[in-house]
Amino acid sequence: MNTFTSLFTLLIFPAGLTLMLVGMFYEWIDRKLVARFQNRVGPRWFQPFADTLKLFAKEQIKPAIVNPYLFFGLPIAALAGALTAALYVPLMGLNPASNFPGDLIVTIYLLSLPTMCVGLAGWNTSGRFSLIGATRTLTQLFAYEAPFLLAMLGPALVAGSWQINTINGYAQNHWLIFTQPVGFIVALIGLMGKLELPPFDAPEAETEIVAGALTEYSGRGLAMFKISRSVELIIGLSLVSSFYLGGLNGIPSFLFKSLALLLVMSVLQVLLTRLRIDQTVGLWWRFGAILVLAQLLVMILWKGLAL
Amino acid sequence: MNIEQLLTQAEGLLASWNKETIRPESNRLDVVIAGDDLRAAVTALHEAHWGYLSAVTGLDLGPASAQMEALYHFCSGPAITSLRIRLPHDNASLPSIADILPPASFFEREMQEMLGFKFSGLNISERLFLPDDWPEDVYPMRANFTLDQAAPVAGRHADELPEQGVVGGNTFVIPIGPQHPALKEPGHFEFTVDGEIVTAARMRLGYAHRGIEKAAESRNWIQNLYLFERVCGICSHTHAMAYSLGVEKLAQVEAPPRAQAIRELVAGLERVHSHLLWLGVAAHEAGFDTLFMYSWRDRETVMNLLEQITGNRVNYSANLLGGVKCDIGPEQAKAVKEGLTYLETRIRHYLEVVTTDVMFLNRTRNIGTISFDEAVRFGLLGPTARASGLVRDVRVEAPYGAYGHFPVSAVTETNGDLEARCEVRLKELLVSCFTMRTIVDNLPEGPLTVRMPRKIPAGETISRIEAPRGELFYFIKSNGGETPARIHIRTPSLCNWVSVLEKAVGRQLADVPMLIAGMDPCFSCNDRVVTVTRPGSNENWSWKQLREYGIEYYKR
Repeated sequence: MNTFTSLFTLLIFPAGLTLMLVGMFYEWIDRKLVARFQNRVGPRWFQPFADTLKLFAKEQIKPAIVNPYLFFGLPIAALAGALTAALYVPLMGLNPASNFPGDLIVTIYLLSLPTMCVGLAGWNTSGRFSLIGATRTLTQLFAYEAPFLLAMLGPALVAGSWQINTINGYAQNHWLIFTQPVGFIVALIGLMGKLELPPFDAPEAETEIVAGALTEYSGRGLAMFKISRSVELIIGLSLVSSFYLGGLNGIPSFLFKSLALLLVMSVLQVLLTRLRIDQTVGLWWRFGAILVLAQLLVMILWKGLAL
Repeated sequence: MNIEQLLTQAEGLLASWNKETIRPESNRLDVVIAGDDLRAAVTALHEAHWGYLSAVTGLDLGPASAQMEALYHFCSGPAITSLRIRLPHDNASLPSIADILPPASFFEREMQEMLGFKFSGLNISERLFLPDDWPEDVYPMRANFTLDQAAPVAGRHADELPEQGVVGGNTFVIPIGPQHPALKEPGHFEFTVDGEIVTAARMRLGYAHRGIEKAAESRNWIQNLYLFERVCGICSHTHAMAYSLGVEKLAQVEAPPRAQAIRELVAGLERVHSHLLWLGVAAHEAGFDTLFMYSWRDRETVMNLLEQITGNRVNYSANLLGGVKCDIGPEQAKAVKEGLTYLETRIRHYLEVVTTDVMFLNRTRNIGTISFDEAVRFGLLGPTARASGLVRDVRVEAPYGAYGHFPVSAVTETNGDLEARCEVRLKELLVSCFTMRTIVDNLPEGPLTVRMPRKIPAGETISRIEAPRGELFYFIKSNGGETPARIHIRTPSLCNWVSVLEKAVGRQLADVPMLIAGMDPCFSCNDRVVTVTRPGSNENWSWKQLREYGIEYYKR
């Protein structure tokens, strides 16, 4: 691969610009679906793009007492983390731009980077709403991270590889949603937790803490955090559908499977009431983690006995 | 017990401090006592469980007498006993009764700021209603108050918060309001939180003061009807109705039966609109936006009905002194019945949602539980009280207007948590819908208005009405002129605040917006006493300027 193609892959297609645009488009689909379910009209198709453009054009107001390096650096780190994670994922059903054995673990940790950055950003701005929001963001991270990782581990275990591309290939012949239903549910709900979608939106519950950790952010910084979340949405949908929904092998299969997942997610957002942070943690550790662990145990035993 | 027996009992309880007994109206007993005997008298009524403290009215009897009067109104069913205490202007100090009856602290703070009463033992000097830069020792409800006394004092600020709101260790102060997404109206709360747990709460009102009580004293009886309708944007009809009923009582005029029935009908529709609005807000606070959107969609039905009947969506302006403006013809009757049928199905559905949806119950069941005894102690009113099993419903206890002919039954729950408050409000709507249907079917024939005199005979009256949020209390005093001498309003929200502040402590921060919403607070109802146009302020518009601006605005 020469430098030009690498740069093209990294910056334009399928990662980089295209990914961001697709992410915003999916964000619009999610918002529109939720709005229609709630009997509202919902935004027009270009709303997320317009919001982003507007935010980029606006001044970023820096609170007086923050550490400026962190304040301006964290949104960049968040976006960079999310975009880097995209390199190892079969985006739009195409082959990953890069892969190596063990890239699954790297991807999952890179996916947590935006959340960590949001947490740090909240701590750094030290507004009262931001601090409470940051605490909640990080608490929630510790709640869903382990079960989500375990849910991703299931397919890796049966495919016998830590490489996303290999698992994707294996999954194209095995619909793991049927053999590992618990893992699928935990992965999907974990994704909602990662994206802080209702009912896991306690970290940004507007009726208590305004906008949570990002309360003090405006302009470019806010836009970058928003984009990294859209990117995360695409990566998460790609991961879950390639692992559990029979793999991704082309743009049509990506569109079909990820949109189906998005529909399920928006229905859940509409139906469920926000959980308090203690209820979120309780849900993950009392049900999510234990169920996935039980499933893993069954799989390991079964594999061991079969060998 | 009938009214006579109740009043005789109260007279007996108060006999040892009684200096003079007055019977201003058939259901009222005024007992004049000395300021020093206040605590003993209140304790006697409280320990005998004679009613509840409904309101405390402060009256300035004018510069001529240089005296003020404090009236402690206790209500038991339809009977009202008022303790009257006369005090000189320069030494208007009274013992505080807030430790006996917690809601009294709000009444006392109002009197302290507005009229300059001093309450020994209250120990709260921070302001609840008046602006922070309001000068000391200037009391807007005093008879000799003039605008130039109220020039803002520079440098007088509220208690400064510690840097960053950090109180020490892991403890923060979380400010909610006056501008905050949880509040649709301005109020200010400070919740001290340790991690996620609330350890202290305080509040500040007065951001939407418009000085309505003061303004009323300079307007004539008819103008005031429209003024009081604007106390609240949600229960505008109940305010106008309470005022009309009170003034009619003073003038010894009774509105015709058809008018009374239409008043009750509009009040019923208003209750549906108010409670559906509340349900949406409560759902939004809990993070269940779907319920919010749906209940507000269905609220449009009742808004359209109100518009069809009265011509307005917010300030219906259905009342006149001596009757109503709008009639219910066959067309409106049909629309109301159709609308009610739809609303009843929807309300039943919401009732099912709030009692069965597990995720919503996570946020409402056993949260903010107020026991029956606490409800009595806090002096709760309206649906908040009824959710704890305490029957406080003026429509049932002391029927007014047409409620004698078209009665409603009080809906109560026993759990006293947020779930019970949702249930009470929704079930009460079903009762309301049933009564409204009966009214539409059996509307009495006859005229809509009777003649009212322009001057209202001298006297004092109390008009109590069940607003959607609880008992609304109007004290109206006339000197026999074209303008009222004093009108005092005590809105239900003011009595229910105690419960929020007490119940928030020890709960999670996430529950606080729900607790605030649970009592259905109405800030503009609380805020009404202070004149906001003050010298030195750019927004000091004369009446003429304002009128011209209004005309210009609508020409465009």
